[in-house]
Amino acid sequence: MTAVRVRYLLLSLFAIPWIVLPFWLLIINSVKSEGEAGVLSVGLPSSWHAATNYATVVHQGRYLTGLGNSLLIAVPSIVLVLGLGSMAAWAYARSPRRSLRLTYYLSVLSIVLPPAIIPTVYTLTQLGLNGSRIGYLLTVVGTRLGMVIFLCTGFVRTLPVDWEEAAQLDGAGRWQIYRRIVLPLLAPALFTGAILLVINVWNDFFFALFLLQGPGRATLPLTLYQFASSSAYGLRWNLVFAHVILTSLPLLVAYIIMQRRVLSGLTEGGTTG
Amino acid sequence: MITASSRRRGPGLAWFAAPAILLVSVFFLVPFLANAVFAFVQWTGYSDTIRWTGLTNFSLLGQLGILGHAIRVTIVYAVITMTVQNGVGLALATALQQTNRVNTVFRSIFFVPVLMSPLAAGYIWSAVLSPDGPANDFLSAVLPGSVHYAYLGHSVSALITVACVDAWKWSGLATLVYIAGLNRIPAQLVDAARIDGAGTWRRFWSVKFPLLAPAVTFNVVITLVGAFSALDVVFATTSGGPGDATTLLNVALYTQYGQSYFGQASALGLVVTGLVVLTAVPLIGWLRRREVPM
Repeated sequence: MTAVRVRYLLLSLFAIPWIVLPFWLLIINSVKSEGEAGVLSVGLPSSWHAATNYATVVHQGRYLTGLGNSLLIAVPSIVLVLGLGSMAAWAYARSPRRSLRLTYYLSVLSIVLPPAIIPTVYTLTQLGLNGSRIGYLLTVVGTRLGMVIFLCTGFVRTLPVDWEEAAQLDGAGRWQIYRRIVLPLLAPALFTGAILLVINVWNDFFFALFLLQGPGRATLPLTLYQFASSSAYGLRWNLVFAHVILTSLPLLVAYIIMQRRVLSGLTEGGTTG
Repeated sequence: MITASSRRRGPGLAWFAAPAILLVSVFFLVPFLANAVFAFVQWTGYSDTIRWTGLTNFSLLGQLGILGHAIRVTIVYAVITMTVQNGVGLALATALQQTNRVNTVFRSIFFVPVLMSPLAAGYIWSAVLSPDGPANDFLSAVLPGSVHYAYLGHSVSALITVACVDAWKWSGLATLVYIAGLNRIPAQLVDAARIDGAGTWRRFWSVKFPLLAPAVTFNVVITLVGAFSALDVVFATTSGGPGDATTLLNVALYTQYGQSYFGQASALGLVVTGLVVLTAVPLIGWLRRREVPM
């Protein structure tokens, strides 16, 4: 056997417990009856309960509420972070002002420093936004901007300033230069940022746990947690697994459609510090 | 290079950063600075007054046995997560460095856990590792006797297990960062070492690994910092137990917050910040010094 074949064999052997087994267990038990799923075996179900299980999750697990809220928060917050982050990055990369440099470093610090959750709750209470979706959304934006600012500022610095100056000489305003020249050139960095943001914001549980109040405002991770830990469903593995699958499905589908671009965006985009 | 024209447009350009500065200030910076004050005040949901109490929050948490224990558990958790995640990530990256059809399939498969929520990862693995789950079934098949070990039911194994689930969820991303780092190493250097007679092992540790330093810096710091503020996986698996074996700082923080002890919760938050600063700053410095200029 060649070295390459040995390597593929070892990788396959590693993938079985690491990926195949956990996901098979997840999928196959989500279509079993409650009693059969309770055994947590990897065998095929004796009778299929996919329709009832998933319907139960959609109704009792408040899946559609969670999906709606997750979309309502993820879409605008990611658009805002990418838009405002790239605008700021352009200013940071091109402006010689010293005061801007300080705010740049403070923004980038937010990538490493952990969020102070209790004072965030306090701040939102003072603003009358505690427990609301808009307060949560703005917190998500404020704590994630640093990452996009960091990615984009580095990227703009590698771009020649000539095009921007040529456009300026042709009489273009700053907004036009940003919109027509800088933003299109930033596309690769913004794509990398978007992937990281989608993964991070869609799956956020920590901020949602503290900042969202009331069942009507829960995002998918919150509905999953509430569904799984409500005593009545604690051990109903078939339903917990069905909820896990439905919660992960939007990202998994998006990933299957564009996996090539996602992986190359993360390996070639500026994720290495 | 600052040209006359870029200096002229300087002030107006700064306005493009204004919305970001405002949002970062109000929703990150102000709370972050306020935490350094809230940690030292008496503030509960049972009284309207907030007053300065110095180190009382910390000493109360210490007397209750919460503070020291949570710090130890968090550090152990972070070190395990960091080691497993980077070990797996680096091994997979070395195996999958070349871009070809088979490697691309493996890369996309190993990336799937990154997309799952940490809660989902916690539920999946508590099923795999439950006393009657498939992990024990496999062990029962290969070992004499039947194995029904409760991985999440004993203090030490629960902490290790939860940390490994966290590492499982993020290893795919570490792999990609290491692949990017490996691809940045000039092929001539590796070839030169091969011609000089260095074997695979020697080429990895003496040539590739030192040149991989920027990727190592990034991954090690990001994993440690992330693990210091972990909470999700614990909520989906042990809820901090058995006993308080997996009560990380943020899990303890949530408990204090739930009991309306906001000052004590802030104190625990400040400890998380302290851990991050104490670890990240010297570690970045130390790892940067090891970086070989290319």
